Amino acid sequence: MPLDYKRFNGPEDSISYKRFTEDYIKSYDQLYQELIDENGVRKDGRAVDEARKMFAINDVVTQAKGSAYIELKQTKVVCSVFDPREIPHQNEFSQLGQIYCEVKFAPFSCPRKRRPHAPEAEERALSVALRKALEPTVCRHLFPNFQIDVFVYILEHDGACLAVAINAAGLALASAAVPIYDIITACTIAVIDGKMIMDPTEAEEHLAIMSPETQTNHGLITMSTLSQLRQITDFRQIGSLDVDCVTKAMDLLQKQCMKIVPNIQRVLVSNVIKYHKERKKLEEEAREREEALNKKMEEWKLLLNAG
Amino acid sequence: MADLLLSSTEKIFIVHGVQDDYRSDGRSNIDYRPMELETEVVSHASGSARLRLANTDVLVGVKTEIDTPKPDQPGLGKIEFFVDCSANATPEFEGRGGEQLANSISNMMQRAYQSSQAFELKQLCILEGKQCWKLYIDILILESGGNLYDAVSLAVKAALFNTRIPFVKAVLMDGGNVDLQLSDDPYDCKHLDVGCAPLLITLCKIGDKCVVDPSAEEESCSVISVVVGVTGNTKSYCSGKEIDSVKSLERKCSTIGMNGSGSLAPQTLQSAIMQGMVAAESLDEALGQALLRERQENVILKKHAYGFLK
Amino acid sequence: MTGHVSIRLASERVNHSVSSSNVLPRFYTPGEVITGTQDFMRGHGTYAEDDCLKSSVAGVMQKVNKLICIRPLKSRYVGEIGDVVVGRILEVQQRRWKVETNSRLDSVLQLSSVNLPGGELRRRSVEDEQMMRMYLQEGDLISAEVQSLFSDGSLSLHTRSLKYGKLSQGTLVKVFPSLIKRRKNHFHNLLCGVSIIIGNNGFIWISPLMQDLMIEESKDEINNYESQSVSKSDREAMARVKNCILALVASKMMLDDTSIMFAYEESLKYDSVKDLLDPEAMLDIAFLTQHKINNIMDE
Repeated sequence: MPLDYKRFNGPEDSISYKRFTEDYIKSYDQLYQELIDENGVRKDGRAVDEARKMFAINDVVTQAKGSAYIELKQTKVVCSVFDPREIPHQNEFSQLGQIYCEVKFAPFSCPRKRRPHAPEAEERALSVALRKALEPTVCRHLFPNFQIDVFVYILEHDGACLAVAINAAGLALASAAVPIYDIITACTIAVIDGKMIMDPTEAEEHLAIMSPETQTNHGLITMSTLSQLRQITDFRQIGSLDVDCVTKAMDLLQKQCMKIVPNIQRVLVSNVIKYHKERKKLEEEAREREEALNKKMEEWKLLLNAG
Repeated sequence: MADLLLSSTEKIFIVHGVQDDYRSDGRSNIDYRPMELETEVVSHASGSARLRLANTDVLVGVKTEIDTPKPDQPGLGKIEFFVDCSANATPEFEGRGGEQLANSISNMMQRAYQSSQAFELKQLCILEGKQCWKLYIDILILESGGNLYDAVSLAVKAALFNTRIPFVKAVLMDGGNVDLQLSDDPYDCKHLDVGCAPLLITLCKIGDKCVVDPSAEEESCSVISVVVGVTGNTKSYCSGKEIDSVKSLERKCSTIGMNGSGSLAPQTLQSAIMQGMVAAESLDEALGQALLRERQENVILKKHAYGFLK
Repeated sequence: MTGHVSIRLASERVNHSVSSSNVLPRFYTPGEVITGTQDFMRGHGTYAEDDCLKSSVAGVMQKVNKLICIRPLKSRYVGEIGDVVVGRILEVQQRRWKVETNSRLDSVLQLSSVNLPGGELRRRSVEDEQMMRMYLQEGDLISAEVQSLFSDGSLSLHTRSLKYGKLSQGTLVKVFPSLIKRRKNHFHNLLCGVSIIIGNNGFIWISPLMQDLMIEESKDEINNYESQSVSKSDREAMARVKNCILALVASKMMLDDTSIMFAYEESLKYDSVKDLLDPEAMLDIAFLTQHKINNIMDE
């Protein structure tokens, strides 16, 4: 990895102090017990199949054509979408518009290590995944030879960052009035010791990827769907799962993705209502001003006539 | 892959063929084209393999080095995948043209080998927390005729099967430093346990059905393909007495991903995954048989390299 | 349901060469002097230097009267007037189509050299020019005849006969043009219920037997026919023919309707068509076909 010498990079062999804390050397079983107690209640008090509450708003970045901010407790993501522009350095005409995606972690976003400024493999993989998810969503035939830029910045990462990034990008695209076929929603499920854990936190994700001693199912699935069209735009799995488990997880993910749609719709509608109200208010004010002006004109006319 | 120009009627013919489970060269939807495999083709690598699948040609070399394990996984070794799409394969790979494809292949391989149920990294440990083996798996695409993921995963598994790691005779601790003594005899080495290493199966969606090992014409009829990584069965990679001592494990998905700009219905995805599992079974068995046959031949006869002359 | 997978080892590699009864011709390599005198005419694959005629490609010599050509195996197609070719439309241009025919330059199909619906002697109007894409669009395959050669060597095609024109459902096999035997007829309806067009340019079109309704019936019906599914038996025969052609090509055998039909007959001993993809089966078929051809030649 080439270092960026314009920035301050810590000494090459520096390591996080967390390595020397007790948390670091905990075994698989210890971590497992810590995250899920015997009643199936997770560390943050959620049930196994319960997702985190979502907070979403759009148009947070004033300079962008459309933007969105989504928060799932400690996972915070901001996304902005810019106007379509002609594809740079391209010599061939492309019938379909292209989508350029960039996912970036803030340097301080991850609990385990500091993220360097130079793009790393994980960020690149996330960018590709995001593009893959968005491509079937956008009506790309409407802007041939143009590209839409989608930038995602992960401010804080506490699990399910790809799913949140996709949700945010979908909301941002909708609020940028880029034509899309359907609202795209995504979510993540973790499988630990055969248990399906909806919307995992970073610690849970870490445990899901860690290999247990036994041959039980473990893994992580992120799926993005177009709920109205009943289409899956992207599906990413890692770990080791048998087919039944994948099928079961798929059903759960589909249901969860459906649940997110009304939330996104509400954000979009409330935004429109807000603008509508604002415009009404402005119109009202304008009318008042005009009336006042007209009144003054009348007065002056009277004065003139009298004079 | 280059965009192949096809007329609409040719496409209709292919789509109907897939629907009937009878493709234009007589294969069914889960049949592969014949492949050719050779291991130990590169003399300077610890293990190597070359696989030819129709017009796709993949060469894999495994280099082993000694490294310190990651602090959070002191008992595990390391494995890393690098893919090079040479411009020899197609002019499109010239410059940075093949970079994106190379990245996505190596990413997919890394994800497929991530779980210990797919590849046991413990066997690469020399001294816990201090020293481990690191496998560099370099994948060279010599010719690109489609279906790269499948060909790469087959070649990688064959190369790992062929990989020899020297025995460590003694480990001395000298202060904080570790001193290793390796065996001088090049034949004094161990083979890796790669029986459950995953194979990637690409399922190309054409019409409402999916096919494995699509030809270039078939690929251009499809906008989306599902790549399923399926773990192998150790039993297929053991010969003679060893078979009884190994217990058969269930095949599992070690990774799933999607390629292409389209989307698909949940039912299609499910049936694609099922189809991938079925295809993986026969693929894994065939690979095991071929590798065992070659190993046996090498015991009887002196190894004769056939190399790249076709 | 299990898939069919065959992985062979490099040590089991098959040598595809099939011995033919003919004596091997003299081969020339690039730069080699063919003849010293200037009495000969310089043809393709040769150049003149120092009063010598030298070869510029590796191949065999072909002599027609005083004209000397060297023909390599992998040459691109060199067109001759009257050849039947199969080509793919690359581009729709002003009053003409660009066609890919495996020759050195792209071939041209003029709007004036196609049969438009409604009589041969119809004048081409502006509407016709605008409707060109309706008739043939990018990617479409056509069969055509070489009408004339331009000065730069590119071909001008025509489809002014009912047997030429747009191709419907089927598969295309590309082989080296030098493997195609020149015959009077390149359109064949094989007995197995498959019709093939062996283009001189090395493009071979395999399709189910053409039904004659196509020509007379209305446009709608043609469209209907084009999207109809091909029956499984037809599909199987087509796949078998395709694999037979590939087997012959792998052994570099000349292709015409007899050799293809012989190969087809020999292949019938393999029940499943996909078995013909195996190199051993391919060699077997090529060998048996060669044998059969030799027998006939002897007679």
